[in-house]
Amino acid sequence: MLKKIQYLSLLIAVSFSISSCEKVIDVKLNTSANQLVIEGNITNKLGQQTIKISQSVPYTETNTYPVVKGAIVNVTDDKGSSWIFTESAPGSYTFGPLKGEPGRTYTLKVNVNNTLYTASSTMPDSVVIDSLDVKVFTFGSKKQKQAQVHYKDPAGVANQYRFVLKVNGNQSKRVYAENDRFTDGNDVPAVLFYAGKNDDDNELKTGDNVDVEMQCIDKNLFTYWNTLSQQTQGSPGGITPGNPPSNISGNALGYFSAHTVSKKEMVVK
Amino acid sequence: MKLFLFFLLFSVASTPFYLSAQQRFAISGTVRDASTGETLIGATVKLQSPSQNTGIATNAYGFYSLTAAEGEYSLVISYSGYQTNTQNITLNKALKFNIELKAVSDLQEVVISATERKNENVKSPQMGLNKIDMKDLDNVPVLLGEKDVLKTIQLLPGVKAGGEGNTGFFVRGGAADQNLILLDEATVYNSSHLLGFFSTFNADAIKDVSLYKGGMPSQYGGRLSSVLDVKMQDGNDKEYGLEGGLGLIASRIKAEGPIVKNKSSFMFSARRTYIDLLLKASGDSALKNNTLNFYDINAKVNYKFDDKNTLFLSGYFGQDNIGIKDLFANDWGNTTATVRLNHVFNNRLFSNTSLIFNKYSYAIQLLDEKSSAEVKSLIRDFNFKEDLQYYSSNHILRFGLHATHHRIAPSDITTSANSSFNPLSIENRYGLEFAAYVSDEWTISDKFNILYGLRLSQFSLLGPGTINTYNGSGEVSSSSTYKSGEFVKNYFNLEPRFSASYSLSEKNSIKASYNRNTQNIHILTNSSTSSPTDQYVMSSNNIKPEIADQVALGFFKNSESNTFEFSAEVYYKWLQNQIDYKDAAELTANKDVESELLYGQGRAYGLELYGKKSKGKLTGWLSYTLSKTERQFDKINNGKYFNAKQDRTHDLALVAMYNLSRRWSLSANYIYSTGNAVTYPAGKYNVGGLTTYYYTERNANRMPYTSRLDIGATLKAKETKKFKSSWTFSVYNALNRKNPYAIQFRDKENDPTRTEAVQISLFGIIPSVTYNFKF
Repeated sequence: MLKKIQYLSLLIAVSFSISSCEKVIDVKLNTSANQLVIEGNITNKLGQQTIKISQSVPYTETNTYPVVKGAIVNVTDDKGSSWIFTESAPGSYTFGPLKGEPGRTYTLKVNVNNTLYTASSTMPDSVVIDSLDVKVFTFGSKKQKQAQVHYKDPAGVANQYRFVLKVNGNQSKRVYAENDRFTDGNDVPAVLFYAGKNDDDNELKTGDNVDVEMQCIDKNLFTYWNTLSQQTQGSPGGITPGNPPSNISGNALGYFSAHTVSKKEMVVK
Repeated sequence: MKLFLFFLLFSVASTPFYLSAQQRFAISGTVRDASTGETLIGATVKLQSPSQNTGIATNAYGFYSLTAAEGEYSLVISYSGYQTNTQNITLNKALKFNIELKAVSDLQEVVISATERKNENVKSPQMGLNKIDMKDLDNVPVLLGEKDVLKTIQLLPGVKAGGEGNTGFFVRGGAADQNLILLDEATVYNSSHLLGFFSTFNADAIKDVSLYKGGMPSQYGGRLSSVLDVKMQDGNDKEYGLEGGLGLIASRIKAEGPIVKNKSSFMFSARRTYIDLLLKASGDSALKNNTLNFYDINAKVNYKFDDKNTLFLSGYFGQDNIGIKDLFANDWGNTTATVRLNHVFNNRLFSNTSLIFNKYSYAIQLLDEKSSAEVKSLIRDFNFKEDLQYYSSNHILRFGLHATHHRIAPSDITTSANSSFNPLSIENRYGLEFAAYVSDEWTISDKFNILYGLRLSQFSLLGPGTINTYNGSGEVSSSSTYKSGEFVKNYFNLEPRFSASYSLSEKNSIKASYNRNTQNIHILTNSSTSSPTDQYVMSSNNIKPEIADQVALGFFKNSESNTFEFSAEVYYKWLQNQIDYKDAAELTANKDVESELLYGQGRAYGLELYGKKSKGKLTGWLSYTLSKTERQFDKINNGKYFNAKQDRTHDLALVAMYNLSRRWSLSANYIYSTGNAVTYPAGKYNVGGLTTYYYTERNANRMPYTSRLDIGATLKAKETKKFKSSWTFSVYNALNRKNPYAIQFRDKENDPTRTEAVQISLFGIIPSVTYNFKF
């Protein structure tokens, strides 16, 4: 609800701002040494589970991130199982086929050059996408189409969700994180406002192929994604950006997430 | 404390003794405008004889009282923009003397340049005080021609604008919620209209604006960094008047007049914007169904029972409405009501008793069928104030009480049956604030004046309610339920206030001050600009009162019969128990909102230079601020001090007004300021399929500087006795410079392997015209 309020407030502010304009500028930035980035996912879908290890680069460099080879990666669960992940591609450590179980807590241990990084995440119970449709917003004669996900939130438990929206294979640049603080136990329609390659590319068009992945995530991961979401929302004069709180010990960037997945696709009519 | 009271009693009691050889009498009265009957605030009243020269400024109700030995005197009453009035007085008993001053016309003003202006800014021990001349407001060019008190104070030293075109402001390193904004003594919680582009103060209805940045007198309390004391006009008690203005986006109308001539008057002023009406007319269908407007109403009635008793009723009501048809609606507004009784016990003791109601509320509606919901929130106060002023030979003693009952209804969510949202109501919070204060303005000698005082402030969080205590990681460590009226938590603070002036000569003085302020009502907001949905919280078992200590030192100089005023002040401020938030804090509709907070400290220091020319064809001022503002939180920036958002090293404002002829006057202002402190990424990486930025230090970077020139011209149409009118033309951002509002980082559109920084600017060049009339 709050996201929707924020978005609509922003929309109305923008629609009335008299001559707001953008220009690309040169800025003086700090640079930092490369940081270790771990991105680990364990899902309830049977298959290869992947832990990626890479490095950050200074802001001024191109978006190519050095991979970290030769790490020792293993995952355990709270039932005593243990899996050793092997480097199947440079910087990409996999094990499989493996299927994560809801309710189970997974612990990741990564050893890079004798430094140990650990993280734990508990896979929530699965909630699936009931349906996917197009929500049309009407501003006067102008109509805007956006993707809308429908799901049934389980009553009486705290649920957190993350969505990944792809339009014609391009991932939306917005981070979508929701919880059930205001919607516990209800049929929820969640609108995913699209953010494409530029400011004009922010709505769906007839014929677009829409692909939505819904993840049920634990509380720490919600905080992680929600922090990023607030920063990418791009409300001017908004919150001070910072690094999202990682659940990985040892000052690594990134996250380790045990989550369920549910996917749906549609073509916009 | 005991020492303080002893000192106070001693200093007041001691004066009659050494002067007891001769009998002394008091002369008192009220100073008014001769044509409107409006009381004049801060007029200078002097009692002069070959052997004696004492003077005083009239108080907020135009009242003065002077005491002197029996004898023959000239009573000289002067006020900027008015003809000086001199009366010969034989003081051989207590005297009552009401004075009406005649305003000088524009033409006369040039001729009567010898009129002595008050030297009050040099003599008075008060420092850190800026007054706005309401006449200047007509001339200073502003965005869309809507003259605005809050935008004009941003041109003063030590006051920083919240954002371009925004009425939010920061004083001497304080946060936006640390300003006490009073309208006829009622607290205005949200002083902005239309997402901050306009203030709630309709300039037509306002008589006097004083901004205290430091050295706050002890009758003010409850906020850390400043007091903006705004007083409404009483209304003309001699004849009826109607005036108004038609602007591009808003129109105003004001009516005033006597109810009973010379005894009772009214003032009514209203304003409404019509941006949305214009948009509807423009035929832009995308905007057609949107709502965007605000209106406000100021009303005041007063009745003088006799020379000793005057009753004032004043009120304000304002509301904003924005919305998109069938989707979303948001309205918010303030309501204030004040009842005051002035009572003159005798010609030395003046009393003002007030009952005040003030409220700020907002409502948001989501109108979409499947996700319909309404969120409501409010903060409401009842106040009782008793303020007494006692005038003796060399002292003005001021003492009083202030009690406030607060209620905050953080969030009330109602939904329809088939909505995806659940109803939710967050418990109300109740608080009681009580303050007692005393101060003494003591003229020790011709050269040395001090103003010292003490404010005792007490805050209690009251039941009913379930109150949680949270540990460092935000988990509930204990929980208790309280009955209605039960005390949950009490805080008691002593706030000493002290300032002194020492005259080096008739026209030069140095001043020093120290003050402590505390604050128990705090705003939680994720945004640096004011937002209608800001959350209010009170001090509690988790939140401690915010405390600020400030020291300041200043040099004040007037020259060429007070044509030029100059001041230089330096200050240092320590802030305790400051509030910030955890990452991704949920501030709205969260019963555990206090678990999301972080507590830290702050420091701010700076130099403020101010030069003003107030006579002649060319008038205006130049202000410059060099400052630093930092905060420190254990859990932010690795516990190191970081720049506050509003930390700007240099701030410069130049305001010039030129009387070209009887009909034309020109004006211009220019501002320059260092960019806001912001956090830019130092590195980047990829998670979740997206470019993600890596940050090292908070607010260690700078936005580009802001530089803007605004120009204006006023043309007076031919006047008749009955009708006056004028046209005001203004051009905001005349050089059409793209000033930074925000900086964003994104992947380059044409080369996704790279990122770029984008500056967003709000307003380019904006011309406007306003037509003003007066019957």
